[in-house]
Amino acid sequence: MTMPDAFPCRLHRGDVSRRNFLWELGGGLGGVALMTLLAEEARAAARVANPLAAKPSMFPAKAKAVINIFCPGGLSHLDTFDYKPELVKRDGTPFDTTGNVQFFASKPGNCQQSYWPFRQHGQCGRWVSDLLPKLAGHVDEMAFIHSMQSKTALHGPAMFMANSGFILPGFPSMGAWVTYGLGSESEELPAFVVLPDHRGLPPGGPVNWGAGFLPAIHQGTVIETAEGRPPIADLFAAEDHATLVAGEPAGREFLAAVNARHLGPRSDNSELAARIAAYELAARLQLSAPEVTNLSGESEIVERLYQLDHPEIGPFGRQCLLARRLVERGVRFVQIYCGAENTAVKKIRPNWDSHEDVVRDHGYWGPILDGGASGLLADLKAHGLLDSTLVMCQTEFGRQPAAQGKGRDHNAGAFTVWMAGGGIKGGTSYGTSDELGFKAEENPTHCYDIHATALQLLGVDHTKLSVYNNGIQRRLTDVHGHVIESIIG
Amino acid sequence: MASRRQWWIGCFAACLIVASGLSLPASAAPPATPTAADAPAAIDFERQIRPLLAGRCGDCHGPDTQESHLRLDVKHRALKGGDFGPVIVAGKSGESELIRRITSTDDKKQMPPDGDRLSAAEIALLQAWIDSGAAWPESEADRLARESDRDPRLDHWAWQPLARPAVPPAPADDSPVRNDIDRFIQSKLAASKLFPAPEADRRTLVRRLSFDLLGLPPPPEDVAAFVADESPDAYEKLVDRLLASPHYGERWARHWLDIAHYADTHGFERDQLRPNAWRYRDWVIKALNTDLRYDDFIRRQIAGDVVAPDDADAVIATGFLAAGPWDFVGQVETKSDVLRRQARADDLDDMITQVMTSTCGVTINCARCHDHKLDPIPQREYYALTAVFAGVKRQDRGTSAAADRQYAQTKADITAGITKARVDVHTLAGKPIDLADIVGGGNGRGTGKKGFGIDPRSGKARDTKAEGFLGDIKVNKLSPGPTPLVNAVFIPNGPGDVPVSTTGLVVKGIPETSVAAWDVIRNGPVNQQFSTKLVSTKLGEVDYAKDSHTILGLHANAGITFDLAEIAKQARLANPRFRGVVGYGGRTAEAGADFFVFIDGELVSQGRIGFDDGGIPLDIPLPPTARFLTLVATDAGNSIGMDQIFFGDARIEGDPAALPPDRQAALAEATGRLEKLEAELNALKEPDKFFGPVAGQPPTVKVNIRGNPETTGDEVAPGTISAAAGLRAVFGDEAVSDGDRRKALADWITAPQNPLTPRVLVNRLWHYHFGAGLVDTPSDFGLGGGKPSHPELLDWLAAEFIARGWSLKAMHRLICTSHTYRQRCVDVPGAAAAAAIDADNRLLWRQNARRLDAESLRDATLAVTGCLNPEMEGPGYRDFDYEEAYAPVYRYVTPDKPDLWRRSIYRFIVRSTPHAFLTTLDCPNPANLTPARLETTTALQSLALLNNDFMLRQAGHWAARLEKEAGDDPVAQVRRGYALALVREPDETELAAAVALVKRAGLPQFCRMLFNANEFIYLD
Repeated sequence: MTMPDAFPCRLHRGDVSRRNFLWELGGGLGGVALMTLLAEEARAAARVANPLAAKPSMFPAKAKAVINIFCPGGLSHLDTFDYKPELVKRDGTPFDTTGNVQFFASKPGNCQQSYWPFRQHGQCGRWVSDLLPKLAGHVDEMAFIHSMQSKTALHGPAMFMANSGFILPGFPSMGAWVTYGLGSESEELPAFVVLPDHRGLPPGGPVNWGAGFLPAIHQGTVIETAEGRPPIADLFAAEDHATLVAGEPAGREFLAAVNARHLGPRSDNSELAARIAAYELAARLQLSAPEVTNLSGESEIVERLYQLDHPEIGPFGRQCLLARRLVERGVRFVQIYCGAENTAVKKIRPNWDSHEDVVRDHGYWGPILDGGASGLLADLKAHGLLDSTLVMCQTEFGRQPAAQGKGRDHNAGAFTVWMAGGGIKGGTSYGTSDELGFKAEENPTHCYDIHATALQLLGVDHTKLSVYNNGIQRRLTDVHGHVIESIIG
Repeated sequence: MASRRQWWIGCFAACLIVASGLSLPASAAPPATPTAADAPAAIDFERQIRPLLAGRCGDCHGPDTQESHLRLDVKHRALKGGDFGPVIVAGKSGESELIRRITSTDDKKQMPPDGDRLSAAEIALLQAWIDSGAAWPESEADRLARESDRDPRLDHWAWQPLARPAVPPAPADDSPVRNDIDRFIQSKLAASKLFPAPEADRRTLVRRLSFDLLGLPPPPEDVAAFVADESPDAYEKLVDRLLASPHYGERWARHWLDIAHYADTHGFERDQLRPNAWRYRDWVIKALNTDLRYDDFIRRQIAGDVVAPDDADAVIATGFLAAGPWDFVGQVETKSDVLRRQARADDLDDMITQVMTSTCGVTINCARCHDHKLDPIPQREYYALTAVFAGVKRQDRGTSAAADRQYAQTKADITAGITKARVDVHTLAGKPIDLADIVGGGNGRGTGKKGFGIDPRSGKARDTKAEGFLGDIKVNKLSPGPTPLVNAVFIPNGPGDVPVSTTGLVVKGIPETSVAAWDVIRNGPVNQQFSTKLVSTKLGEVDYAKDSHTILGLHANAGITFDLAEIAKQARLANPRFRGVVGYGGRTAEAGADFFVFIDGELVSQGRIGFDDGGIPLDIPLPPTARFLTLVATDAGNSIGMDQIFFGDARIEGDPAALPPDRQAALAEATGRLEKLEAELNALKEPDKFFGPVAGQPPTVKVNIRGNPETTGDEVAPGTISAAAGLRAVFGDEAVSDGDRRKALADWITAPQNPLTPRVLVNRLWHYHFGAGLVDTPSDFGLGGGKPSHPELLDWLAAEFIARGWSLKAMHRLICTSHTYRQRCVDVPGAAAAAAIDADNRLLWRQNARRLDAESLRDATLAVTGCLNPEMEGPGYRDFDYEEAYAPVYRYVTPDKPDLWRRSIYRFIVRSTPHAFLTTLDCPNPANLTPARLETTTALQSLALLNNDFMLRQAGHWAARLEKEAGDDPVAQVRRGYALALVREPDETELAAAVALVKRAGLPQFCRMLFNANEFIYLD
C-alpha cells in the first residue's frame, strides 16, 4: 500500500547546526530561542507531515462534511417511513400460507400494519408515521431510499456491511475512507469522530469505525458524549497524578530538547520529525477538544431545539449538537449512534431491535431520534451548514411486515435510509419495497449505492478511491455501487 | 461490475447455443448403433484418430473456431475439454461427452450438428481409442500449440520451481562480507554504485538484536558484558544466547499470531469468550522455542489431529485453523438456514484465506466470486480448497483422542457403579418419585422423556424443543395434565385468588404478572429467549443437567399441581417428603423471578431468586392427608425476559428413619458407596480442552456462483491451486475423508518442490529483521504483490532454509550474523548520495531504523520499570472487567498489578472491543490477517504515551526502582535511567538537563518523558 504522501523532509542541515548551536548555548535548559525554534520546526514538520491535511476532491464537491446517524438494531421502515396501505388491508391475515418462510428468529405471524398511523407531510407529500412528527416537518429536505437491502439479517455482519461495505469485520469504515481520500479541514480536531450512545457501543463494537487496512489515523476517534467526562481518552492525565501534571511544562521542555538532540544525526528520518510535531498537535487538541464539547456558549433556543434537558431525548440531542459543532470546526466525518448493543437489560431494548414489543421499543426510541435528528437539520440550516453537510440516517436492516408476537423480526430484504443536505434533492425518494414492505421491489439497492452517492457528493469517484490490499484494489463499494443521481440536487 | 455481468451473459448465451443447437440444422438419419466388434485391434493415433477428429470436428472445434472453447485438433486442449468440462474420459468411452454427442439421436445434442453423421466404424474407432486409454503421443504441432497457449501469468516468478542460484562474488577484496547474504546484497549495491554501511557499534547492536529476537530491551548488565567481551565471536555468542532465550518464542509467536489473526473471543455481535484458545498460543511459543522444523510446524497446524490424534501437542497445533473470528449468531443462534449457509461460507473463506496467505502468500480469497483478477487462479480452485476444509468446524474440543478415551472409560466405570449403588439404595429405601420425570410424561421412575413437557395453556404433552412466546394465553385457567399424576397446569396471575386444582382449591398471594408466558413446563431446562449460553443448569456447585440429576424447568408465568394421591399409588414411601433444590436457571445477576410451593393450597415456600442466589434447598414433610403439591413461577413484575425457575432433583422421597434396623444398616452402606462414587465423579477432571477444529465427513462442495451460497454450480473435488509449477493440485474425489484432504493439503504446502512455502517464510523472516521484506507484500506473492528486490537472494535463502532442515533458528542466525544486518543506520558515510539513488533503502545500503510496535513498547516499559512479570504459558491475563450478557461487555481497567504485567503475548485478546491504548499505538485488529504492521504517527499516540494511566503509573514504578537501585543522587538516578531505557550513558549536556528536570519536577516526570522520547521508541 502506498501512503497518501511520503513525508518530505524539511529539516536541512543548516537548521540542524543552528539548533545544535542554540542547544549548546542554552546549556540544555530549554532556552527561549531553542524552544521557539523547535516549535517552529515542529509546525513546519506538521504541515508537511500531517496525513490528515485537507486534500482536494476529485471534482467539485457539493458536501464538505458528513454526519451519519446510525440506528443499530434494525429500525422498522414499516412503522416510520415506508407507508404500506396493503399491509393495513391485510392486517391480521396470515402472512405466509406455505409454512416455509423462516425469519432470523421466528416463523412469520400474521400481517401487522404500522403501529402508528401515517400522514402526508410537506409540499412533497411524503408519508411519515406519527412516531416521528418533528422529522416529518423536514421531508422537503430529505430523500428516502425505500429499496434498501442487506446481504445478511445478522446484526454484527449487517452493521459491518452498512459501515464498510463488507459483512466481514476488518474492512475500512466509510468515515475512514472519506478521511483517507479527503483529509480534514480541521487541524485541531480528529478528522473522523464517533459519538456513541451513552448506554454503550453498538453491535460489533469499535470495528464499525475501524480503519481496516488503512493507516490507523483514519479510524474514528470516540468523543465521550456524557457531560463531565474527558472528551477524548488520555486527553489529560487523571487527577490523581497531580505532581506529574504540575511538572509537565518542564517535562515537555526536556522532551523537546532530547528529541531535538536525537534528531540531529537522523534528520533524514522524517518519521522522527513527524513524531515531534505530533506532540504539538496533541497540545492543540488539548485546547480544542474541551472547547468543542463545552456547550455553555450555546443559546437557550438551541438547548430547547435539541431538548437537552429531557432525560431520555437529551443525551441524543447532545450528540447531535456536538456533531454540528464538530462539523462547524471542519471535522470531515461524524458518526452518531442512536442506540447501543443488545444487553441483558430488561424492559426497553437498548436499541431498535424490537423482537418482543414494537410499541414499547420503537415507542421509546422514536421520540429520541425524532427530537435529535429534527433539531440537527433545523440547526444546521440556521447555521447555514446544511447545504455543505450531508446528513444520512442508516440502519443495518429493516423489520418484517409479519408479526413476531407484539414485535417484528429482522428483515434484510427491505428497509429505508434517508439523506438530507449536502447536495441532496429534498422531497424525493428512490426505489420501493413491495406492497407489504417485505422485499425491495423497484431499484433494489445495497449500501454500496448509498456510499457511492455520499462519496459523489463529497467530490470523490467511488471507483477511484482504492487501496491495494491482499491481492486486490479494495474500495468502499467493493465491486459494486452506482450513484443515485435522481436524489442529487 | 458491468463487464463482469456481460461476461456472464456472454457465457450463458454460449451455453444456450451449444446446448440447444438452435441455429444449426440437424441431420436426418441417426447413425447405426456401433458395437465393439466393429473396432480394429490396434489403433494408430496419428493415422486413424487425429485425421478423424480434425476432419469431422475441426470446423467448429479446430484452430480457427472453438465452439464452447473446445478444440479437438491439439492434445492439451482436447484432453482439457471445453466450457462443460472434459469430453474425453480416458478408459471410459461411456462417460465421454465426445461419444455421447456423436452417438446422440437428440437433434439438439448430436454432433456434428450438420452434414453427414459419423459412420459406425468411425464411432467404434473413437470408442475403442478412448477405452484403450486415449493415448495421444504429443506431436511437434501439439507441443507448439501447448506452449503458445500457455497463460503468460503462469510465468510469474513466484510459481516457478525453486533453484539455488550461485552466490555472486564480493564486489571487492575489502568488501565487508561475513556470509553469503552479504555477497548478494553487496553485488547489487555495487551495480548501483552504492556501498554497504559500516558495522554499528556494540550498544546499538545489542539493543537492535534484543528487541528483534526477544522484543525486550537488554538489561544493562548484559550490555556491559557484551561491550566488554573481546572474543572474536562475541557477537555470534550473543545471537546464540538470545535465540536460546524463552523470550524468543514469545516475541516471534506475536508475528505468527498476527498472520493467524488469533484472538481469545469469537468476535462479531455476540463476542463470547474462548477460554481455551490460549493452548494454541502456547503451542506456537513452544514450537518456536524448540525450533520445530517449519514443515512440521505447518503440517501440524493444518492436520496435526490427523497425523497424530493421540499426541496433544500435535492436536493443539490445529488451533491455527480455528484462530480467526466466528459468528455465533449466524452459525448457531439464527433459525434461518439461508443465514446459516452464508455465515458458514464466510467461516470457510476465513479459514482457507488464512491458510493460503500465511503459508503460500496466495490471495485465494479473490477467487471466491469469480476467477482471480490478477493471478491464474480459477474460481473452481477456490472451491477445491473450500472442499479441503468443508468438514471442519470450530469449537472447544479435547486435546488428544487418548485422553478423551481414558476419561470416557473412567467416567463410564464410575457411572456404572453409581447406577448399581442407586438401585441398592432404592431397593432398600423405596425409589423416590421424580417430578421432572412426571412432567416428561413418565411415572416418576424414569420412564419420562428428557426435554418433553406440558403446555400450561392446554395441559397437553409437548415433545418439541422449539417453543418461545406462548400465544393465546388465558390466565388462571386450569387444564388437566396429560397423566393422572398431574392434576392441573395453569398460567397464574394475581393479585386475586388463583385456582390450582380441579377440585376447586385456590391460593392467595400470587402477584400481578405481565400476563405472558414463555415455553412449556419441561423435564429439563426451559428454552432461553436469547441464547443457550445464558442458561445455567448449575444450582450452587451441582450441575443438575448431568448424571442422574434432573431439572424441572418452570419458566414464568406457569404453575403445576401434582396429585399426591395418584403418586402414592406408584410407590409406597414411608413418611414421604418433598425434597429438591430450587434456583434460577439464567445467567443475569439481577433477581429474576418468583417461585412458590403450596401443599393443598397452603404456602410452604416462596422466594425471589437470581443467578447469584445459588440453589435453595427444599425439604418439606408431606402429611399423610396431603393431596396436592403446587409449584408456581411468576415474573417478578418486570416482564418475562429471563425468568427461568429450575427445580433440581424435585422428588417425593421416603424417610429411611422409618425402616427396620438391619435394612437401615444395609442402606447406610449403599448410601455411603453412592456418595463416595458421586464424589469421585464430581472430582473427575475433564480432559483438557482447546479451541480448535472438529472434523467430520465433508459435505459436497459446489462452486458458489458469484460467491452466493444460494446459487451453486458444479461440484468440486478437494484440491488446491494449480499455478505452482510441478505439483499435483487435485486431492481425489468426494469420497476422500476430511483427514486425508487436510493431510494432502499440508503435504502439498510443505512439499520440497512447493516453490511458495519456503520463499514466503524466508521473506517473512527478512521482513521482521529489516522492517521490509525482499518482497514488500509478505502475504501476497501474486502478480499484484511486490516484486522481489533481490530475487536470487530470496531463492538462495529459500534453498538454504530447506537445506538447513527448515530450521527457523538457523535462518535467524544466518541473517543476524550477516554484515547486512549489522550495518549502521545512523552516521552512514555518503548517506545523502545513497538516498538520492535509493531513497527507500530497498538495496540495503544501511540498516533501517525501526519503531517499536505496540506490544514491544508495552513490554519494554514493563521491563525498564522492573514490573515485568516473566510468567510464561497458561490462560491469558485479562486487563478488563467482563460482564456476561447477550453481547458480553468488556471494560478495560488500568493494569497496575503483577498479574497484569505479563508480556503482551499473554494478553487475552478481545475482538469486539479492541484495547484502546494498544490500538492507538497501531496494534492491529485481529479481524485482519496482518502480515506487516502499519505505522502511523498521530497526536492521539502522543496523548496516550503522555497521559494514559498505565504509562503514568509505570513512570511512578520506574522512579521507585531508580531510587532503590541508584539511591537519592539525581545524577546516579538519571544514569541508571538512561542505561535501562536507552542502553547508553547520557552525555554531559543531557545529564545536566535531566538532573535539572529531576530537581525541578521530580524523578517520575523524568521517567514519564523518557518513555515519550523518540530514542526510546525507535531503534537504530
